[in-house]
Formats: sequence, structure tokens, C-alpha cells
Amino acid sequence: MRQWKLVLAGFVLIAAWPLLVHDVFYQRVGALVLLAAISASAWNLLGGYAGQVSVGHAVYFGTGAYAALVVYTEWGWPPIAGAPVGMLVSMAIGLVVGTPTFRLRGHYFSMATIAAAELARILASNWPLLGAAVGLMGPPRPRSLADLSFISPVPYHYLFLAVLTVLLALTAGMQRSRPGYYLAAIRGGDRAARSLGVPVLRYKLFALMLSAAFTALAGSLYAVMVGFIDPDSALGILISVKMLIVAALGGAGTLFGPLIGAIILVPLEETTNALFGGGGTGITFIIYGAIIVLVARFQPGGVAELWRSATARSPRRAA
Amino acid sequence: MLLEASNIIKTFGGFRAVDGASLTVNEGEIIGLIGPNGAGKSTFFNCLAGDAQPTEGTIHFLGRDVTRTSPEMHARLGVARTFQMPVTFEDMTVADNVMVGAFLRHPGRTAARRAAEEVLDFTGLAPLGATPARSLGTPGRKRLEIARALATEPRLLLLDEALAGLTPAEVRLAIELVRRIKARGITLVIVEHIMEVILSLAERAVVFHQGKVIASGTPRAVVDDPAVVAAYLGHHMRRVRRD
Amino acid sequence: MILLQVVVSGLLMGSVYALFSSGLTLIWGMMNVVNFAHGDFVMLAMYAAFFAFTLLHLGPAVFIPGAAALLFLLGVIVYLGLVRHIAKGPPLAQILGTFGLALVLRYAAFWAFTANFVSLPDNLVGGTFDIHGLRIEASRLLGGVIALLITLAMHLVLTRTALGSRLLAVAEDRNAAMLMGIRPDRMQAIAWGVGAASTGIAGALIALFFYISPTVGESLALIAFVVVCLGGFGSVPGALIAGLAIGVIEALSAYFIGAVYKDVLVYSLFLLVLWVRPQGLMGTT
Repeated sequence: MRQWKLVLAGFVLIAAWPLLVHDVFYQRVGALVLLAAISASAWNLLGGYAGQVSVGHAVYFGTGAYAALVVYTEWGWPPIAGAPVGMLVSMAIGLVVGTPTFRLRGHYFSMATIAAAELARILASNWPLLGAAVGLMGPPRPRSLADLSFISPVPYHYLFLAVLTVLLALTAGMQRSRPGYYLAAIRGGDRAARSLGVPVLRYKLFALMLSAAFTALAGSLYAVMVGFIDPDSALGILISVKMLIVAALGGAGTLFGPLIGAIILVPLEETTNALFGGGGTGITFIIYGAIIVLVARFQPGGVAELWRSATARSPRRAA
Repeated sequence: MLLEASNIIKTFGGFRAVDGASLTVNEGEIIGLIGPNGAGKSTFFNCLAGDAQPTEGTIHFLGRDVTRTSPEMHARLGVARTFQMPVTFEDMTVADNVMVGAFLRHPGRTAARRAAEEVLDFTGLAPLGATPARSLGTPGRKRLEIARALATEPRLLLLDEALAGLTPAEVRLAIELVRRIKARGITLVIVEHIMEVILSLAERAVVFHQGKVIASGTPRAVVDDPAVVAAYLGHHMRRVRRD
Repeated sequence: MILLQVVVSGLLMGSVYALFSSGLTLIWGMMNVVNFAHGDFVMLAMYAAFFAFTLLHLGPAVFIPGAAALLFLLGVIVYLGLVRHIAKGPPLAQILGTFGLALVLRYAAFWAFTANFVSLPDNLVGGTFDIHGLRIEASRLLGGVIALLITLAMHLVLTRTALGSRLLAVAEDRNAAMLMGIRPDRMQAIAWGVGAASTGIAGALIALFFYISPTVGESLALIAFVVVCLGGFGSVPGALIAGLAIGVIEALSAYFIGAVYKDVLVYSLFLLVLWVRPQGLMGTT
């Protein structure tokens, strides 16, 4: 990796963050930035690298979140034990949504993701097992370390950092090897990719399932940290929008784009929430929507693309 | 016998694009598919490549039935193709484009890179390795498509109007490349409108008209065939651009 | 008897669905950009109708064509300012562009008009017809009939007029159309205008008998997607038949399994259509 010194410095800074700031508010922001980076990086696997734009990724996030709290409310397990369940169910959902639509033009897949997310939200709002409209709560008091119930945001910061590092390492490894090249080829053109022997459907599904699994993991982590979920906070359109705006603003299809997007957007959101109260959700969406339109219209490559033109090296993409 | 297509019929709705065409390709040959526009040769070509499925008829490659096999499988079996309108991967570099092809036979990155570099040298694209594909002109793109297809190490290479839109000088370079490809032991089936190319490259020419094969033989013989002349008199015969 | 009532009511609503879905299929057929904001266009038209009546005291005879004109303008502006550029960009930009627009429109309405439902007075197009025991509200009947006529008119314009054949030429093969002297850019702007105008009329009609709120756009957009997929991409007759079918299916499921789950049925039907017959009833590929 060319700019590894920069990456290393960034990593050290992020790791040291909770120790540098002592205010709980800023420590919490740090943890939330990392969680958003995980979701967005997971979305990026499918939307950025494979070029299949999901606008309903909340369905996987919500599955992970609900899986974590359902295993607690039904069987008393520590919520994190629900994460593998959430990941498996998410991958199955991905198969159902992706298999018919990946054979068609990209828009069909995107439309199907909206339908899937809405379906999930309606079902969750009406299914008693998932708490219906009221939602589910986690353990009110931690029963053991396994409950991962901490008062301070700091342990979460390091937990999320570990998960993000694994995800990004996996992505980087994939990028340089055959799957990465094949996904870039698929993004470049299905028909040409096929003529070179790329099993297009199989790789799209592979990207989708990997993306779904890690998004579900992010959802489970969210449920563990926040301790409460309901259909809107776990499956609402805001979740889907946040994931894709963080990834797209930072730079879809790049390794650190989602992290950059998270670093820009999450503190912004938390600060405006703190200053103006959470009731400005209408305005939040208007701003998010406007950012998405501007990125799409003027700079689809996001901040990463700006950085690349600014540093003006010879363009390197999939290698 | 490398490839055998028997009695291919392809209909779209009520229209018969290919109406009972057959073709035998022997190893080491260069075969030219020619014919006026709309004669069905492109559709036939797509059936050979696995991009279209014949409504009736069979295609066998190395004895194996590939009539309904996917394009991916075709590539794996050793049939590679280029496209009439080049579809290079614009966002990737020339070298990375070729690597996609190389990964078919070499799953590991280092081996794929080595194989890709060999192909880049062979096709003369090595100096352009780090250039993004989108900044190439048409001749560069066509050459890249050929290189990419070669990287899959095919037995049979199908070229779809790979020389259209090139200047006479570029055509000469392309012909030279095709000859070198043949020298490597790869069999070629090329679709072309430019008669000069067929005359200089193809050992055997197959003429399509209204979905059927109306003549087959050496290019010289076929060009003088009265049935062929009659078919072409109804259409323009394309000539190399006088640039 | 009640069943027949439900079916008729479904057909009437379905013809309104057919109207705005025809607009979507026209837009989508012309170029490779799906309008994710289509449902929110309908929502804007609904509010336009509402304010035309409550603030300007204009009746339906004025605000229905008015909404059409307003949305036509919006469609053209959206095309020129946004769509034309994202169409040249990567697929990500194409999808995000109209999706972002949908969010902006929806939540601008949310912020400006609040989440509270509003509605036009019941007696605006008043009365209920009783035909052999079938009770049909005049507003719904008017809506359904007008929608049907306009959809048919759209089909006729596309297939029988010079403008229509120019539009179809661009949809078929942009480069060939250019060679024939047709200006694709202008045609696509018109297509977006017409597509948006269809949402204008549909929204104004729906406003006559439905609650108006900022978030109706999301479910209407999904209905439009289902109708377009079922009817075949680019086919107005297909959208008509599929729209009517979806209207009836929706009405029947609301009757048998309740209003909440009717959405579940429609979305599941969508996924099912994608699995089984993505080319739709009348489409080819």
C-alpha cells in the first residue's frame, strides 16, 4: 500500500482517540464513527466494489440488531451470541433478494432492496416476537462480561475498531486478489466479464452475502451498545440512507472512503442533534438527500476522488 | 475438428435471423465470416460464443455439446471472443484489464500478473500498462480487447469486426497481430466487412445471406462466386476508409 | 355483491396507478434512469391540489390541469438540472441521483407541511352513485375514469403522433435518432415532463378522495415499480393492464387480510414477479 505511513498514523490516532479526549460525549462520538464506518464499509463491498447499489440495506442491519435482542429476550443469552444468527439470516435474505434481480439490470436490484426493507419493517412492527411496534430491550443490568454492557463508550470504541480493522483487512486482501478483480470487472460490464470466464452471478451473490453478514454484525453491535431497538431505529429508511451516504460521500469503491465519510458525517450529526435536539429529523433528511444528489451530480467518486485528483498520482484502481 | 455447428436456427419472435447454418472449424484455421448487413452472421457468431442460444441446432466444441452453455463456461472451455463495440473496463488500467482475463487460468495474483505481462508484451501493449483503459483510442481499445481475450488462453478466438474503424496503417498492424496469434496455435473465426482483410488473412471464407450459408471456400473463389456477388449487389460492400 | 364492490373500487384506484406508472415506464423506457422520486412527484401534486383549493379557491377543473402543468415543469427542470448529467455517470450516480431527490422532496414536504394528514373536503366532487346496489363515490369514479382516459391518450400520442414516434425513436436507438435529425436531449426532457405530468394529474385526482401526507410517496413509488415490472419495461399498455390488476389485488387483500398487510402483499408480489417473470406480461427482455 502506497500511503501506508499515512494509514498507520491514522490508525494510531483513531486508536488513541478515547485516551486523548476525556469528555464522554466525544468518546461516544468516536465509537459511533467506527460503528458507522463498519456499516458503510460493509455496504461498500456490494455497492462500491461490486457496483450493485442497495438502498435498503437496513434490512440486514435490522436483522442483526433484532437477532441480538431476540436471543436475549427469548432465551436469556448474551445479546452478542445472536450475532451469528443475524449474520446467517441476513445472508439468506440476501440470496432471496439478489438471485432473481442480479440477472437483470441494476435498477431492479435497487428497487427490490427498497421493497425488502419495507417488508421487513412492516413485519417487525407487527410481530410480537420482535416486540412489534414497541421494540425490544437488552439486559437492564450486565449479568457478566459476555453481555458487553458498558457504561463508558471506551470499550465499545476498541471493540468496533477491532471489527473494522478485520473488515478492512479482508476488503484490502480481496481487492488485490481474484475476487477483487472479478468484482471490478463486473462493475465495468457484465457482458465483457462473462466473456472472460467471470461467474458473474456467483460473485455478485458472494459480495452481497459478505456485505449482508457484516452489516448484520454492525446491527448486533448497535443493539448491544444502545440496548434498545424498534422498527424505526433498526429497519427504518434512515439506516439505509446513512449507510450509503457515508460510503458515497467518502468514496464508494475505495478502501477508506466509508471511514472518511463516517468521520465527516457522524460528528456533524451528533453535534447538530446536541445543539438543536433530535426533533429536526425532517431537516436531517433534507440535508442528507441534498448531499446525495450533489455527490451523484458533481462528484460520484466522493471525497476519495477529490483526494486522488489533488495528490495527482497515476490512477490506480483495483490493484 | 475443433468446433462444429450443425444446422443452427435462431428466431426472434417471428423473424429467422439464422436459418439452418452449419460450420466446421478445424484446429489452426483462420475462418472469415462475411456477408451483407443483416445476413445473420453476427447472430450466428453470438451463438458460437455462447451469448445467444440457438432455437434449434447444436454446437460442439472439442466433442462437447456447448449449445446451451453460458459465456463463462465457453471461456473456461477455451472459446474467447471480442466485441464489435469494444467493452473494455474503463475504470481499470490496461494491465488490470488483461489480468481479469489471466485470472481465469491463474487464480493466484503473482501468476496472473506474470501471464498478463506476457500477453501485454505479445500484443505490444506493455508500454501502456498503467494507462487507464478509458484514455485509449479505438485501435488501442480493440487491441486491449484482443489481449484480454488472449489472457484466458483460448484454443479458439472469435473476433467480431476487430478491424472495423481502423486506418489502413492500423489495419496492417492488426493483421500482423492476428497472424502472430495464429502462429501461437490459436484457431480464429473472424467476422469482417473489409474484403481486403478477409483476402489476406482467411484461409476459408464462409458467406452468409438471409440467415443461410450461401458459399464456402477460399476467399478468392468465394468472391468470384455469382451467388455471392448477387447477394452483395443488393447491399453496399464496405471498403477500408481512405484516411 | 361486496366482492364486486371491492373489485370495482380496485379497478378505479388501479387506473390511477396505471396513469402515474405509465409516466414512470415512459421515463424509464427513454433512458436508463429509474425515477426513484416518482412517488414523491405524486405527493407534491397532491399538496398542490390541496393548496390550490384551500388557498386559491380553485376547483378541480382548474387544479387538475394546473398540477399537470406544474409537474411537467418540475420534470423538465429535474431532467435538465440533474438527470441529464447523472445519465452519463456511473450506475451509482444514476441511482443515488433520483433517490437523493426523493429524500429532498419528501422531507422538504415533511418539514414544510408537518406529518399531519390533510385532505380536501368530501363534497368537492360530491355524492355517491348507487348503480344496481354498487356504491361508488363520485370522486373515485371521476378519478378512475379520467385516469383511464389520460393513460389511453398517452398511448395514442406515443403510437400515433409525430412527437410520439420521435420519442420512441430516441428510446429505441439514441444514435440512430440523432442521425435522423431528432434531438435526443429535447425528447428526453419532454419525456420527463410528460412522465411528471402524469404524476401531476394522478396526484390531483387522488387528492379528491384520499388523505394527503408527505410520506405517501414511498409506497406509491413501490406500487409504480411493481406495475412497471409487471407490465413490462417501457410499455404503456402493459402499465395499464398491470395497474388495473394491482389495484384489484390491493383492494382484495385489504378486504381479506386488512389494510396493514396489503402493503406486505404488494411488496411480496413484486419480489415474486422478479423471481418468476421479470420481463412482465407484455415485455420482451
